[in-house]
Amino acid sequence: MPHPLEGRFSVDHSARLIRNYRYAVERALRALGGWIALTPEISAKLLMGRHVWDLAQHADAFGKRLPELRAPAQVSEPPNPAFAAFMDALEEPEGKEQTVERLVGVYRVLKPHLLATYRDHVARANPVYEPPTRRILERCIEDEARHIAAGETILRHLASTPALDERAAVWQGRLEGLLAAAGGVTGDGLPQASAAPPTATQPPELDDDAREWIRLERTVTVWPIPDDLRATLQSFGDALLARDAAAPRRWLAAGAAWDVGAESSLYAVKPAAHRVVAFARVGHHRLVKLSFEGADGAATLLTRWVPAADGWRVAALEVARVDAARPALPPP
Amino acid sequence: MRAREVAQLKIDQGLPPFPDLASRDSIKDRVHGIMVGELQAMEGAGRTVCDFPEAPWEFTLDMARQVWDESRHVEIYLRLLEHLDGYAGEFPETTILWRCACAEDAAARVAGVNRGLEGLACDVFNQLVHIARKMGDPILERAVEFVLADEITHVRMGSKWLTRLTEGDPERRRRAIEFQETIDERFNLGGMRRLGDHEAVPVSIATDVRRMAGFTEEEIERLIKSTQRSQVY
Repeated sequence: MPHPLEGRFSVDHSARLIRNYRYAVERALRALGGWIALTPEISAKLLMGRHVWDLAQHADAFGKRLPELRAPAQVSEPPNPAFAAFMDALEEPEGKEQTVERLVGVYRVLKPHLLATYRDHVARANPVYEPPTRRILERCIEDEARHIAAGETILRHLASTPALDERAAVWQGRLEGLLAAAGGVTGDGLPQASAAPPTATQPPELDDDAREWIRLERTVTVWPIPDDLRATLQSFGDALLARDAAAPRRWLAAGAAWDVGAESSLYAVKPAAHRVVAFARVGHHRLVKLSFEGADGAATLLTRWVPAADGWRVAALEVARVDAARPALPPP
Repeated sequence: MRAREVAQLKIDQGLPPFPDLASRDSIKDRVHGIMVGELQAMEGAGRTVCDFPEAPWEFTLDMARQVWDESRHVEIYLRLLEHLDGYAGEFPETTILWRCACAEDAAARVAGVNRGLEGLACDVFNQLVHIARKMGDPILERAVEFVLADEITHVRMGSKWLTRLTEGDPERRRRAIEFQETIDERFNLGGMRRLGDHEAVPVSIATDVRRMAGFTEEEIERLIKSTQRSQVY
């Protein structure tokens, strides 16, 4: 029977662990904050936006605890250079197509590890003289479990193809290797107890609002395009795919100029299919983004359509974006 | 598309360049613009959390809080769009707010974003609350009123950090305020923002709310004067 005042951690050691946690949390919250602007998907943006503040509060609570442990306030410290390298790697994916990698790093690698570490710490911290640290960790545990569940919901939504799933697994494996090599957030090795893996049966109250964010992202499943314009867009797109120089020009509005440069950019991606990716209105005009996808990438045409006596006519068109074909996997 | 082009397209069709609040459809257009603005505000605050690790910790803490607030605002406005039978993407928008959030100096960023843009948000939301109340839409009224409360807090944060970050550096403060004034000027929206009754002007300067947020009488007066010399689109 252990003595109730038996302790595993000295004051100095406890302060060091807290600096280590603060280091990981601070870097994660800065990364999440910076990524919001790089992430196109609304659901992922909202996920990150919600969790930046929770993490800032964790870092703040850790930082305020430090002077109580005879250490300077609000200081972060990595356990070793290898953990700093792990965080560097976690922050690497900044491409607009790399939302999955960003979320995997935080929600499938870092946060489950922090959760397991905090639980391990609480289990070993003395309940008589370490309640201040335990209370902070208990709040962090609750938040991290909720974050992981929400992150998993969004990841399942975004990593929706076998190729994306594979990308996620490869990236997760790489980061987990770096984390293990660093000995985890404390440098003392990975904790025995792992975080409960998030599953589809996760209680809804732990799922944050993630499902709602996905719904909000999908509010429009079918663009409200009038039937006659829809038919025109189909024919216009087909004519461009057919590379028939004269055919698409039939839809030009009086006085509008055909953009030969736009046409060339479009053909450069060897388009094989087209679809509407955005539909907006300015008064009676309709702005339509048409994406042409092919072997060498995708080109997005921004077109403006105006109603005329003989049907819809294109009054302006320009290339809004050209994307080269996506790499299958992130670099090792 | 540039804001100027969209405005011109509207003018060519005999429409106001900036959505007024005269119909449910124009309110929807305005709400759509606000939703995109909130998105960019969330992105901007997030970048501020990321870009200034050397700034005082409390600064990061305030900016992280702002990220959370803006994320809720995005969600609120997405739901309000649904409430108004609209959808994200229904109207063309620009990235102008984001571009304003890209100042390289933290003091300039809080001056421009927290005092300039969030000050504009105070004007717009205060008017929207009034219009929603008048048209009997408690959903719109209550939701925007809470967003307005957050925006007032963000302006206060901006005033606090503009002062603290430029303490002992009057040149830095001058540059930051100058940046804020260029933003104020730009978002006078070609004379759309003016002092006047909610129903008489397109965007009414919320003098009381601005006072509550910590703007001085002199600053409010200067803003009102700047709106009188703003160029039209």
